[in-house]
Amino acid sequence: MLADLIESIAKIVFIFSVNLGFFAPVLGWVERKQSALMQDRIGANRADIAGFTAIGLFHSLADAIKVLTKEDFVPSGANKFFHTIAPFLSLVPAIVTFAVIPFGGHYKLFGHDVHLVIADLDVGILFIFAFASLATYGVVLGGWSSNSNWSFLGGLRASAQMLSYEVAMGLTIIGVIMVFGSLKLTDIGAMQVNFFRWGIFLQPLGFILFFTCAIAENKRAPFDVPEAESELVAGYFTEYSGLKFVMFWMGEFLEIVTIGAIVTTLFFGAWHLPFVSDRMLLSFFQFAGPNGANMLAMLVNIATFFAKVVFFIWLQMAIRWTLPRFRYDQVMKLCWKMILPLSLINITITGLVLLLWKK
Amino acid sequence: MSDLAKDLHTEHMVINMGPSHPVTHGTVKFLATLDGETIVDLKVDIGYLHRGFEKMCENGTWQQVIPYTDRLNYVSPLINNVGYALAVEKLIGIEVPERCKYIRVIASELSRISDHFTNVAASGLELGAFTAFLYFVEARELVWDLIEMLCGARVTANYVRIGGLKNDLPEGFKEKTREVFKTCRGLWRDVDKLLTKNRIFIDRVRDVGNMPADEAIAYGFTGPCLRACGVPYDVRKAQPYLVYDRMDFEVPIGETGDNFDKYLVRMEEINQSMRIVEQALDQLPSGPINLDMPYYRWQSKDDIYTRIDSLIFHFKTVIEGIKPPPGEIYFAVEGGNGELGFYLVSDGSGKPYKCRVRPPCFPLTAAMPRLMQGRLIADIVPTFDMINMIGGECDR
Amino acid sequence: MTDLDQTKYHPMVGVPIETLKPKKVRKNIDLTLWERLYIFEILRGLYVTTKHFTSNMIGFVVAPKGKKRSIFTVYYPEEKVTLPPAYRGRPVLVMREDGTEKCVACGLCEKICPAFAISIVAGERANADRYPISYMLDMSRCVYCGYCEEVCPKEAIVMSSEYEGLAERDRSNLRYPKEKLLRSEESVKDRIEYIRRIYSKCNY
Repeated sequence: MLADLIESIAKIVFIFSVNLGFFAPVLGWVERKQSALMQDRIGANRADIAGFTAIGLFHSLADAIKVLTKEDFVPSGANKFFHTIAPFLSLVPAIVTFAVIPFGGHYKLFGHDVHLVIADLDVGILFIFAFASLATYGVVLGGWSSNSNWSFLGGLRASAQMLSYEVAMGLTIIGVIMVFGSLKLTDIGAMQVNFFRWGIFLQPLGFILFFTCAIAENKRAPFDVPEAESELVAGYFTEYSGLKFVMFWMGEFLEIVTIGAIVTTLFFGAWHLPFVSDRMLLSFFQFAGPNGANMLAMLVNIATFFAKVVFFIWLQMAIRWTLPRFRYDQVMKLCWKMILPLSLINITITGLVLLLWKK
Repeated sequence: MSDLAKDLHTEHMVINMGPSHPVTHGTVKFLATLDGETIVDLKVDIGYLHRGFEKMCENGTWQQVIPYTDRLNYVSPLINNVGYALAVEKLIGIEVPERCKYIRVIASELSRISDHFTNVAASGLELGAFTAFLYFVEARELVWDLIEMLCGARVTANYVRIGGLKNDLPEGFKEKTREVFKTCRGLWRDVDKLLTKNRIFIDRVRDVGNMPADEAIAYGFTGPCLRACGVPYDVRKAQPYLVYDRMDFEVPIGETGDNFDKYLVRMEEINQSMRIVEQALDQLPSGPINLDMPYYRWQSKDDIYTRIDSLIFHFKTVIEGIKPPPGEIYFAVEGGNGELGFYLVSDGSGKPYKCRVRPPCFPLTAAMPRLMQGRLIADIVPTFDMINMIGGECDR
Repeated sequence: MTDLDQTKYHPMVGVPIETLKPKKVRKNIDLTLWERLYIFEILRGLYVTTKHFTSNMIGFVVAPKGKKRSIFTVYYPEEKVTLPPAYRGRPVLVMREDGTEKCVACGLCEKICPAFAISIVAGERANADRYPISYMLDMSRCVYCGYCEEVCPKEAIVMSSEYEGLAERDRSNLRYPKEKLLRSEESVKDRIEYIRRIYSKCNY
């Protein structure tokens, strides 16, 4: 009983510290540096403490200090309650969805069966989609409650875009669920032990469609119509400053991590190294005794998982800085006229192949 | 749908994309009347950068106008200088030496390259392609390095004089040009791969801002926008000046006049301009670059320091200004945006009586309401970018 | 649409087609299949940016020969750009060895300045040499065009290559008097040689 509690608390603390403590500040640094290297420039590296610049990492600290000391205002004529609560509604789903994502498998540590997932729900994926839908409220309320024309337009565009892409995203996942036969993310991850059973080989079209829908859901370029800087100043968060603005912004970045984690779990073998099964890994670490072997295997799997997540973060940043932006009606057309029919075709073909395979 | 709309009380929203807005590069005000996201009417307000160029010209002498012309189309200042100097020389009736003509061609084409780089980069930026913007800004920096080597300043060049040039080409110019063009061509290929066949970009700019050729001519379009409509009118070919008739270059034309054609025409013109610069550097003759006419061109410092008559001419032309014979002249050169014309009236004194500029982007901006009829508000961005309205030129 | 092959002279422009050389840049009006599928061109674009990314990353670790890094940026103020000899910086008055200015207050620079930034009050010394009693150059009006250097008959004002220290906190400090403009002849020696070279008789 106590061991279970300690285990849960340890996992929650780990995920929180990795997400909020590591990814949130570092992702800001990664965005600056990666875009700078792609664009033949150096990037921000002037912030230093006692003459020691950590290649620009202190800029995140400077951002944090700046944000905490800014004036927190609500524009005149705005609805104060909704204005304040909107950033929370945008940030919380991004963090909470991490509760069902497994970052490792099963290990026997000190006679105890440890599952590296905070909450092993039976409806794994649906939990993620349910909470991702709540993020729409944050955007809509933020756009409407700041008493401004531009924010209003941004909120309108954002709501339509996010709703459409949620529908499409749900349909693209159905192929994966059909192939793996379970909604639980731990099961899907565990079934991808064999390298050629990774989701990318079984559902290539599903991967492309899901990735596109996820980027659109996150409102990053090329789908950043709601916050299109050059048309609408800053879209639905024009009238936000200080901590509330940072909550919107952090929600966006943490959702990048979440999307990377989901894509890894569903399509890229979750925590498995290619061509290495669990037994091989445990036998490799035989020298450290049973507990030690499990501990080392756990560390290797966590490292693999996060390495894959980092690759997908890099890929999403690269896509953002390469592609121009869609026009608003083209975003809608893409979703309803291209992704939706393609995902339905994907489901049909998957079903047919499974039927013939079973025979 | 419209029956439903009759019962609902709807109003058209008027949005003011004011003089300072991230997308209107140049100070221009748009009053867009919107029905949802569709533009019903668009009013364009210019004049926010009016600095009284024509009135200032009447205050100064003919030579003092040249730094003012730098600031007309400030992304291609050397073309303005060349245009003004050619107009005054035609008014006087003199012709500059061969080497001067070739160097003026090189300077104009370098300016044109930097103008097109700036425009395509800004369009990329406003459509969200940040990387394409920075690649072309890097290329533009290198071209500006060349111009700085030539005349000492990157943007406010002040290089051309009436009757010649300020100074000759510096040493090592030809080699540096070859190096710079190699890097620029590499960056051009990169941006081409990023944008030209990218469906996201094509969807934003294709079929937007169409203009049939006869309507374009009726509005007074010239330059890349007219060439995108399919009319191959280029002042360098139609009324050749300097040594353009000896240069071998092609005139890129488009089909429908939409923004994609304008983009393709500008990208191709960068290539053609680089060709012209390389041919001019190869064909460059040796010889003097200034005319030896004390009445119209300041003398060399060797003469001023030693001879008394040169000193007297120098004082007279500086203080009173050069004196073209009374008359009027109109002369047009091919600017970055189209036909840049100078209409000069002289009354025989040292100051211009009138110096009027025909800005190429004025008719283009005037056609914005016609181009934006029935489009979405997000189409203002690429259309206005591709028109390349430069505030300094349109408002003078 | 334009008929390019049928008549010898282009109908709208009136120039023979052989000299006009029009070149169509639009290869296809509608999208080809390759362009229609987004994914191929997106991958090509990602390839371009990834190439820049990796070459810049490697350039940080292993710098190319002759340069400190392969990135284009100059890390001011630790590194500075080398300026060409033609660079036009702040105008300065040239000082002789005995500390007086070479300027004879002829007033040419005052007349030619397009921004009307120079004001001179002329005077005479005891040995009938002209000199400026007060020479005021308003740096807030100066546009760095280089005309004053071009017309000076005495090489008394030149455009140095100073570009730092031009900002002041108080606008009245920007009206530079004679004392603030004087520089020794040694420090502007290169510029004087340059202007003698470019304005020499061989260019005429």
